[in-house]
Amino acid sequence: MPPDSSTTQRLARQLIDRARVPGDAGAAKASAAAFAVEELYQSLSRWIGSDGCHALFTRARAEAQDDHPPLEILEVRAHSKPYVGRVAEAVAEYGDTATAAAIESMLVGMIELLGRLIGVDMAMNLIERSWPEPARDNALPEKRRAKA
Amino acid sequence: MSTGKRAVIGSLATGVPGLDAVLGGGLPEYSFNLIAGGPGGGKTTLAHQIVFANATPKRPALYFTVLGEPTLKMLRYQRQFTFFDPKVAGSAVQFINLSEEIMGGDLNMVLEKIVGEVERTKPGIVVVDSFRTIAGRPGSPVGEAAFGLDQFIQRLAMHLTTWEITSFLLGEYAEEEQRNPVFTVADGIFWLLQATDRNSVVRKLQVVKVRGRAPMPGLHTFRITDDGLEVFPRIPEQTSSRQAHKRVRQSTGVAGLDEMTGGGVVSGDAVMLTGPAGSGKSTIATEFIMAGLKKGETGVIAVFEEYPEEYLARADARDPRVGEMIRAGKLEIIYLRPLDLSVDEALHAIIKAVKRLKAKRVVIDSLSGFEVALAPTFREDFRESLYRLVGTLTATGVTVFMTAEVVEGFSDVRFTAEKVSFITDEIIIQRYIELEGAFRRVMAVIKMRGSDHSHELRSYEVTAKGVIVGAALKEYDGVMSGIPTLRNKSAASANPVAAPAKSAEAPAKRAAAKRRR
Repeated sequence: MPPDSSTTQRLARQLIDRARVPGDAGAAKASAAAFAVEELYQSLSRWIGSDGCHALFTRARAEAQDDHPPLEILEVRAHSKPYVGRVAEAVAEYGDTATAAAIESMLVGMIELLGRLIGVDMAMNLIERSWPEPARDNALPEKRRAKA
Repeated sequence: MSTGKRAVIGSLATGVPGLDAVLGGGLPEYSFNLIAGGPGGGKTTLAHQIVFANATPKRPALYFTVLGEPTLKMLRYQRQFTFFDPKVAGSAVQFINLSEEIMGGDLNMVLEKIVGEVERTKPGIVVVDSFRTIAGRPGSPVGEAAFGLDQFIQRLAMHLTTWEITSFLLGEYAEEEQRNPVFTVADGIFWLLQATDRNSVVRKLQVVKVRGRAPMPGLHTFRITDDGLEVFPRIPEQTSSRQAHKRVRQSTGVAGLDEMTGGGVVSGDAVMLTGPAGSGKSTIATEFIMAGLKKGETGVIAVFEEYPEEYLARADARDPRVGEMIRAGKLEIIYLRPLDLSVDEALHAIIKAVKRLKAKRVVIDSLSGFEVALAPTFREDFRESLYRLVGTLTATGVTVFMTAEVVEGFSDVRFTAEKVSFITDEIIIQRYIELEGAFRRVMAVIKMRGSDHSHELRSYEVTAKGVIVGAALKEYDGVMSGIPTLRNKSAASANPVAAPAKSAEAPAKRAAAKRRR
């Protein structure tokens, strides 16, 4: 059964919201989205390997690119930190909202792709469980603040 | 030390039907096992089946994947099996990819990663798939990275055992590689093989060793279905006598045949009915089952030559109660037609049905079809296999009624076609003869172990109401040649064929009466 896009969209939005730092100004939406992708890449790599995870994001990016021009600037880099590169350049060119939407679209595409490959239920399960615990809501912003 | 103070080795149920029996009572807890075999042998499926049968949130399973099959693909395919519960994937069953550590080529890093995850998760089961990627192949570039492999295996085994973990290393190994250190360290070695013979492939499993257990020796066939692996333990040789049972006579459902056998076949015996095509073997077999059902004895019919629906339709046409009995759960027709069947698999299917129904009567229709259904590799030792099958079935106390087709000319007189008469207690033969310009059927009982029986050749007809046994062909000579000659010409008008007779004397009496008229 193909994944329900509203479910994957909701999950992607949750991941981004969890990654958002309250009161962050500037390119907050885009950087939160990029951080959510980074976290998912890191955590899912534990299960399916970094190459497998990167392959999923690469395809998701390619498929979302036509509808989201910021993705032409944005890069996903295997075995690198940050995983999503050139966020600042994309924001400068297209703005925070459009860049955030582009990253979110890539994230949704990746979750949908994973769901098609291994089943939506298992994909959701793996993503939910691989997201850093117990901190999804509290510690992540702290972590980001520390990083900043 | 007294035996009372010995460490108890607990058992882990594998969740693989038949495998625990082969292992001698399940897997020893905390054992370090190797699942070896060629590609496509079922190693990953076996490991997953064991994992999903045993993993719990408190004692999860860690499934380490390496460079072989990409994890995504593995999950995609494995989740097609019914045992794979996606709800526990990520919790009770956790998949961890080791590819980065392996790419680094440092076995210490690999070990550290495994040990770190083990300490963090405290699993009950650990699988490394494929271990061969870590160990490398001798002479290959990856094999060069296998420096310190002995120590790596020793340390890994020690860590996993001290954490009270039952572990499985999966790898593609050839039989000649058994000098590999992992074979020495492993407590258990499972070897999965695929035997190819002509167009047929048969999967076989061998438990090479299991420390602390007495595994069943030999090669055991297994099949992979949507439910995963099912192992069919090799039928043990018949070492004990049959289940003690009273030698009670069981009606065959054919009055004349009961008379010929001295009151019916003996319960718990193996009975073989042989005859050419169309001689009524299946009809008599069905009547044998129906006679039992009338007395409340449930039955199982194993068919090999046609689909159960077709078989049932024909049986139902003869006796509509056949369908009723199936619906009532008193009779089961099991269909065993694949051309890669093993004797063990057939036996398991029959035994399961016998146990399910508490059956007293089993029909195997026919041995000829059974032989064809077997994979070529098993046809070679058909007699031995049949001996084991019949021995195991009769040991349970059921009466086994087998049919066998014989192809014969008039000049070729054989009692059985399969040369398996030694496995049977009772043999009934059917033949066609030419009489008065037409084919006629005759039958005789030629063997009944430990009991007397008629030695007459009796005519019979297969009618809509069943099989009707007629008179003995006493007036004829050379019946077995197929072209009998009338000994007394004056009796020529007396047609003994298919005239129901109360006794063997009946045809002679009828002929005399006619003469008097």
